[in-house]
Amino acid sequence: MIPFDMVEPASLDEAMGLLDPEDPTIRPVAGGTALMLMMKAGVFQPSRLICLHKIEPEFSQISVTSAGELRIGAMATLSQLEHDANVAKLFPVLKNGMSRLSNPRVRNVARIGGALAHGDPHMDLPPMLTALGARITIKSPQGEREMPLEQLYAGYYETVLQKNELITAATVPPLGARKAAYMKVTSRTADDWPTLGVAVTFALKDGAMCDPIAVVSAATEKVTRMVEVEKLLQGAAAEDAVLNRAGDAAAEEASILSDAHGSAAYKRELLRVYLRRAVRRALGQDTRQVA
Amino acid sequence: MNQVGRNIPRLEVRAKVTGRADYTHHVRLPGMLYGKVFRSTMPHGRIVNIDTQAAKELPGVYRVVTGADIQKLIPEPYYGPAFHDQPILALDKVRHVGEPVAVVLASDPHVAEQAVQLISAEYEELPAVYDEVAAMQPDILVHDVLKPAGTFADLKHLKGRGGTNVALDYHLRRGDADAAMAKADHVFEHTFKTQQCLHLAFEPFVSVAEPGDNKLTLYTANQSPSFVRIEIARLFGWPENRVRVKVPYLGGGFGGKLYIKLEALVASLAMLTRRPVKIALTMEEQFYMITKHPTTFRIKSGVSKDGKIVARKCEVFWNGGAYADIGPRVAQKSGFTAAGPYDIDNVSVDSYELYTNRTPAGALRGFGIPQLVWAYESHTDLIARGLNIDPVEFRRKNLLRDGRPQASGTILNDAAIPEVFEAIVKRMNWNAPFDHGAGTLKRGRGIAIALKAVISPTTSAAIINISADGSITLFTGTVDMGQGSDTAYALIVAEVLGVAAEDVRVIHSDTDVTPYDMGTLGSRSLYHMGNAVRLASEDARAKLRALAAEAGLPEGTNYPPIEIFKKRFGMQAGNIIGSSNFVPSYTPPDAKGMSENVTPFWMVGGSGVEVEVDTETGHVRILRLVNAADCGKPINPAVAKTQLTGAAIMQLGFSLSEAMHLDGGQVTNASLADYKIPGIADIPPMESELVTAEQHTGPFGAKGLGESGTFGVSPAIANAIHDAVGIRITELPITAEAVLRALRAKEGRPLDDE
Repeated sequence: MIPFDMVEPASLDEAMGLLDPEDPTIRPVAGGTALMLMMKAGVFQPSRLICLHKIEPEFSQISVTSAGELRIGAMATLSQLEHDANVAKLFPVLKNGMSRLSNPRVRNVARIGGALAHGDPHMDLPPMLTALGARITIKSPQGEREMPLEQLYAGYYETVLQKNELITAATVPPLGARKAAYMKVTSRTADDWPTLGVAVTFALKDGAMCDPIAVVSAATEKVTRMVEVEKLLQGAAAEDAVLNRAGDAAAEEASILSDAHGSAAYKRELLRVYLRRAVRRALGQDTRQVA
Repeated sequence: MNQVGRNIPRLEVRAKVTGRADYTHHVRLPGMLYGKVFRSTMPHGRIVNIDTQAAKELPGVYRVVTGADIQKLIPEPYYGPAFHDQPILALDKVRHVGEPVAVVLASDPHVAEQAVQLISAEYEELPAVYDEVAAMQPDILVHDVLKPAGTFADLKHLKGRGGTNVALDYHLRRGDADAAMAKADHVFEHTFKTQQCLHLAFEPFVSVAEPGDNKLTLYTANQSPSFVRIEIARLFGWPENRVRVKVPYLGGGFGGKLYIKLEALVASLAMLTRRPVKIALTMEEQFYMITKHPTTFRIKSGVSKDGKIVARKCEVFWNGGAYADIGPRVAQKSGFTAAGPYDIDNVSVDSYELYTNRTPAGALRGFGIPQLVWAYESHTDLIARGLNIDPVEFRRKNLLRDGRPQASGTILNDAAIPEVFEAIVKRMNWNAPFDHGAGTLKRGRGIAIALKAVISPTTSAAIINISADGSITLFTGTVDMGQGSDTAYALIVAEVLGVAAEDVRVIHSDTDVTPYDMGTLGSRSLYHMGNAVRLASEDARAKLRALAAEAGLPEGTNYPPIEIFKKRFGMQAGNIIGSSNFVPSYTPPDAKGMSENVTPFWMVGGSGVEVEVDTETGHVRILRLVNAADCGKPINPAVAKTQLTGAAIMQLGFSLSEAMHLDGGQVTNASLADYKIPGIADIPPMESELVTAEQHTGPFGAKGLGESGTFGVSPAIANAIHDAVGIRITELPITAEAVLRALRAKEGRPLDDE
């Protein structure tokens, strides 16, 4: 690894001042778990890293607002999310998704903000939080803005963030009685990045699914909502015929890519199956061990 | 005091878990330069130009070295254990992506790394060959002429041969396989393939060379320090005693760190600069050093109607990559067991080691045997199924037993094949009804058993020093890379000399003080070095008795050693040195590959597996993995058991997830991020059973065990999948996608290619 500067600003404003929207060799680093891999592979050679550790306390809180929303500071670690009592109680889907997200050593240092901003489609939190309808708060020298997480991703490893913008928090609306599930499918080893991620949330009204959100990731170039699937699920009962049609629709509408995890043809089959299993899991009807 | 057979923790365990054990990575010497390798991006090409100017000009760069510089020091700078075919740095041609072409030296390793990026090379591209079967044709030649090293008598006939990629062709003919096949009631023929994978020790390759006054010292992560010393001395035209090779503990070897790896390079650089030089590879660079042979194995059997195998023909093609390394040994020494642990009167084996334009291949925990077992135990299962005979019953009927000749003609002796097999069958509860699952989750079970001969002939020497206070030091060239050899030898010494193993000091692998050992490889150490250690201990014991007699003490005196020394020398003074050279007897195979004494001992290992297959996704979950092996009489049963478990886990990775992917000769997944080894969550419920037998020629009845746990894992899984869902996977690794594709093809609705 070739030497580079490492600066440790004490405040968010100072950190943003050190970022340069024109210079791609300057980047912020939180947990560094993804960035270090890129640096070791020589894919990214920084001239300067802005280490965010010193501004951590202020931005690493996980709390529930008076409106019942879960607010996750961007510098919270994945382990914090995994072990937070409110998360376990209000968003079990998030907690359950953590145990197979890489390994404890990674979860102990990787941060929520980095996991969202990295833009690698082979990650678990972006599809989970997208299906939960999360919003992110973004700060730049121009001020603060909020946007739905689902609008963050522009393509493969691409987000709409400017180089001098930082995510400061993710806010998840109350789940209430909505059902939720995330299915992580790996094809090589258990702690691998996903081959396919499928997340679904929906309400139930008289046995019919309402306002469903269905998200596919990992097999696609970015986290993607499956609108045709959502149309099929809307107002329908979770019966095999419906779920099979929805699985077919998912395989039809998602643009699936071949990569080292498997061929597109194989991943389409996985999506067909796991869309159905995700709905079943959300309803507590699928308890099998996930591959 | 009974020492052998005690369950004791490894002697070095405290030093390791507290981070105080020595590794080559810790070596820092005054004035040391760090080398970083510039590697070929071309799989096969003539070097037209290497531009090092910009790298030389980078501040902090001490020197940039190319093959031409090496040649000024060593006119014929080629090395290797079987062939002198590997240049220290590429000369006229490059033969695989990742081949070292130049080295930057700098006091700061980061400067060296940066400078490497400023080097450029121009090549005239040559057509490349990657597949072992394609390489049988002489259309594309990796080497113009073969250069056997002369170390091995059976390679001498290859000297000067050109127009071929075949680095060794081994043939065995027992009986008349063709005639027997023609008369057989049933004939089965299949082809199996294995992938390229690698050792991936968690301590990547690292070597340091320190030039001295009329000598050179190497600190290196290597499994065969005696060979390194001989080979470096040969390259420099020196006597052996001017080269010192020191090996501390190893962070894993598995056959990767055998023979010469970085040593010739750092030695040359140190001699060119007269400064200490260190090269430490990254995890990613290991993908361009040494790998496990991909293979194609065509296997054909003739079977009688009552289920007896009457003939077997084996054609094995070993993809050796760009340089031979120890590949020709793998092709031959594994080749003669290619027909498996079965009693077959008519066997023919053709085993070919081939040059291709890939990273070289060598030995990996099993010396080629796991590739062979994958084929013959999958094939054997298919025969049983084809004949509608229970796979256990079919094997029982055909197993080779002590007193019967193995394919080579050597009479089997001290090989617990039936015992290991029955131990697995019993644990699998094979005769009980088995639940094959329902719906989309189907279950199956499979079994596999294998035989391996230890490499022969090889030599080990040991020295015992009894100091005047009676304390004992053992000097041995075995490299302890986690297998617990230091501890096993301490137990043997302690048993002979009547002390506690914990009180024996073991000095390993420093060629200035430790005597010759062929290498820590192929499960040979406990048998060969173990025997040498026992003999040296007995020699020391005899000398101590003689010393007591000289001191005027009666035979069988109960004087402790310190009193004997005092009585003989008048004070606490003097030493007793016990020593030994151990080499077992051996008869080289004749022109038909036959020998009456082909190996000093046999290894036997096998596995039983239960799986659950998700028929909608192809995912295979291993519900149970049983491993058993013949361990002779274990010296340290607790450590022996961990060898079995560790080997099985390693083979689990080679079975299910590990594969190097190539694109135009370039490895596209050269990192732990994309080359996936099993993690803790991938480890299935495992049972390991040491089948205790007696190796009558082994030290206290023991035999080697480091590889036996790998043998049966892959075919047992494939056999279990077949049992569960009726499909046969013939190529490793067994991915979920491969299983789903086979399922869908069987259902007549195959998946698209892309």
